[in-house]
Amino acid sequence: MGTCGRAALAWGSSACMRVSMVRFAALAVLLLGFFLSPSVSAQPLSAERQVQAALHSSRAAVAPGERFTIVLRETINPGWHTYWRNPGDSGEPTRLTWTLPTGWRAGEIRWPAPEAVPYAMLVNYGYEGEVLFPVEITVPANARPGSTVTLSAAAYWLVCSDVCVPEDATLTLSVPVAAQGRDDPEWAARVGEAVANIPRRQDGVNATIATGDPARLSVSLPNAIASRNIRFFPFERGVVKAAPAQHARVGAGGASFSLTPDLRPLGAAPLAGLVVYEAQEGGAWVRRGVEIEAAPGEAIAGTDDQAAAMSDDYLLADIEGGAEAASTPAAAEMTGVALLAALGLAFLGGLILNIMPCVLPVLSVKALQFAGGVQSGDARRHGVLYFAGVMVTFLALAVVLIALRGAGEAVGWGFQLQAPWVTSLLALLFFLIGLNLLSVFEIGAGAQNVGSRLASRGGDMGAFFTGGLAVIAATPCTAPFMAGAIGAALTQSALTTLVIFAALGLGFALPLTLLHFAPGLQKLIPKPGAWMERAKNVLAFPMFGAAVWLVWVLTEQSGSQGTIALLTLFVSVTFLILSSRWGRVWLAIGVLQLAIAGAFIWRPLVGVETHEVLVSEPWSAARVTELQGEGRAVFVNFTAAWCVTCKVNEVAAFTPRLADAFAGTNTAYLVGDWTNRDEAIAAELAARGRAGVPLYLYYPADGGEPRVLPQVLSESLLLETVQGE
Amino acid sequence: MLSKREFLLAGAAVLALAACGPAANVDHVATGAAAPAFSVTDATGAVRTLAEFAGQNVILEWTNNGCPYVRKHYDAGNMQALQRDAAARGWTWLQVISSAPGEQGFLDGPGALARVQTEQATVTATLLDGDGVMGRAYGALNTPQMVMVNGEGLIIYQGAIDDRPSARPETLEGATNYVRAAWADLEAGRPVQIAQTTPYGCGVKYAA
Repeated sequence: MGTCGRAALAWGSSACMRVSMVRFAALAVLLLGFFLSPSVSAQPLSAERQVQAALHSSRAAVAPGERFTIVLRETINPGWHTYWRNPGDSGEPTRLTWTLPTGWRAGEIRWPAPEAVPYAMLVNYGYEGEVLFPVEITVPANARPGSTVTLSAAAYWLVCSDVCVPEDATLTLSVPVAAQGRDDPEWAARVGEAVANIPRRQDGVNATIATGDPARLSVSLPNAIASRNIRFFPFERGVVKAAPAQHARVGAGGASFSLTPDLRPLGAAPLAGLVVYEAQEGGAWVRRGVEIEAAPGEAIAGTDDQAAAMSDDYLLADIEGGAEAASTPAAAEMTGVALLAALGLAFLGGLILNIMPCVLPVLSVKALQFAGGVQSGDARRHGVLYFAGVMVTFLALAVVLIALRGAGEAVGWGFQLQAPWVTSLLALLFFLIGLNLLSVFEIGAGAQNVGSRLASRGGDMGAFFTGGLAVIAATPCTAPFMAGAIGAALTQSALTTLVIFAALGLGFALPLTLLHFAPGLQKLIPKPGAWMERAKNVLAFPMFGAAVWLVWVLTEQSGSQGTIALLTLFVSVTFLILSSRWGRVWLAIGVLQLAIAGAFIWRPLVGVETHEVLVSEPWSAARVTELQGEGRAVFVNFTAAWCVTCKVNEVAAFTPRLADAFAGTNTAYLVGDWTNRDEAIAAELAARGRAGVPLYLYYPADGGEPRVLPQVLSESLLLETVQGE
Repeated sequence: MLSKREFLLAGAAVLALAACGPAANVDHVATGAAAPAFSVTDATGAVRTLAEFAGQNVILEWTNNGCPYVRKHYDAGNMQALQRDAAARGWTWLQVISSAPGEQGFLDGPGALARVQTEQATVTATLLDGDGVMGRAYGALNTPQMVMVNGEGLIIYQGAIDDRPSARPETLEGATNYVRAAWADLEAGRPVQIAQTTPYGCGVKYAA
């Protein structure tokens, strides 16, 4: 091929660059096809096909009424592949269209575990070499012994290397009917083996899919740690992108995968597919698979200990390997000098933290103590206690961090504020300190003067506690120097991590501790007087500021439900504190209202997922129709943030159990949010004879008109509706 | 000093690695987002850009004349009919060939013009994206693959040409053509209902 007339060639345009003999041969065939056909047709004439296909029966003779298995055998030329039921980024699965004698029935093709075949930036799912597709055939009870029937199938498949060719064939199989069926000596065992190796559900293999991009799929696959080349294959196209690395990880509890969502976010609905891997059987590596349906939920523990093994000839080694190296940087232990530098930076970072806006309000309370006139003995003791408070808290956080890291969690600094209950508690604390500073209430009867109160023996606890609180509050204000030091510490051994955190703590605690020990500095603070009450009141406001910020943090974590719950908690606790001074009856009322409020609001505060588990998608009439078309049941909730009935229903009835029921029945959950004007929702409400929200509609899976549910819901009513009966 | 620099470099490296997501070869553009700008030579040798079509409705058709899925639509005249309807509606039609030189479907300028003649295609231009830059920017995975861009330069549909992911010609009958569905929506004054689908067909023959 000296020159390339590629402009005119259709099938053969890849002529120039190819060197492989196989491809050359394939090309020759294609070229031949091109020249033989007057116009370029979809079906090139080809002397040699890329796939040889045949049907084989497990039975030499079948009895009336029995069910038996045949296989479609594809023998695929080297370098070419056919496709799995989901072809991946391109391609099309093999199809069989049967022509059967009356009464005979053929089942669906059963798909062996596929492999991932990369091409340029695409990844396809399919088969190379020889593959057997089992199909179950049912013999009618009235089949006549002694007769021979012919099973005929029009087979169609797409076979690809770097180009694709559709091929088809009419395949036939003669099946003798006998009073007594008997196995085929050649094929019974092979068909049996093929059926045995079809991936299927396994008891005890559970899977969960967490929301995210990438979303984490975890599977409790036993012995995953001894497998290699493990990967998840979704049944449906358009659900998970085929080409991105899955960063498979394995552990004693199973395997986990990072999946890149395709058309819709992952983690809302169950995700079905195969986990395919290679396992060692009888000294050889063989491809195996297990069918899973992952329920939305948190990752399964112990599935994330180490990167999954890959063989040298794994086709996706480039895709998975390159990215794997980037995701887990090899952290060499620091040299002594580098460690000193890190310690220095950590110390500096700690110093700087003192003037960060998150910390200043806490420390300003401390400063007020000196104004209150603390005896020097007390001051020193408080200094030591404050120092201890800071150090203990810093080191405790470091220990927790190390422990979590050891458990395979991806944690970074600030993880403590990732727990909604910590955020809630801190916000409440800041709010109460603010109230206290405004003299709304006093802690301890008879203590009229904040200075003398803090200077009393009770101040010992206060000093220690201030240190701890300051550390927690400092978290989000990670100073620039600290980021580097902590980042480095996290990749190092436990001891190094502890030492670096200690340096941080030292830097953080030092300024205020020194103030306790330096009477000279303390003298700079003015004498006690009326100004102290004002200073106290002024300091209340940075506290409220910190509380406002934490409320926002919780909003980000738990959504608007978290906000309303936390603000309700503020009101409720304030009432309790005030009522406690008005006598027993009032105290009882206070406790009671807190208990009632708490029953409604505890979920978002402690981070029990409410709307997180009940993942919804926005309502549209078209989406309902589409989901119904897929044969799914649909639950529609028309709601609004300002609709109290809606919110009460959502708190009381939309529970994790309902989420399970939705997942278990594959019911789609759509939310029409009418908080803001929306013509489409208004029209739908009007169509159902409603002027406003709430409106709850349930479209059964078998299609048809929706059921309109009452405006006041209970969990049991919803469960009955969704689960039928 | 060296040691401190060493440490800082190490820290920076750790942070940089942490910042990197998985490397993506093909970009993904969300439906509703602005169509990525491009600057590609067409079959006549002229440089064409998205900007020159501002204010016009544009259809991008990723094609590869050797791909059986593309053949299904051209040999039956289905694609040509769609192109004629597009022209009648005043839509600009851009074919895009992202096959790399030497790969299936690659055409030079004269070859591409001849191909349009042979197929009796009605296109505004055939863009020769041999380096795959435009294809990757649009996240094109398959041939055929369709992208519809409105006069404001926003993607209003992307994905498959229809709902029959097969190379068999008989699957054309009764298929729902997503481009026509989008036109129906637009002409009824509503937003495109099916705005994104999973494309099907041959993989785009990008340079490996």
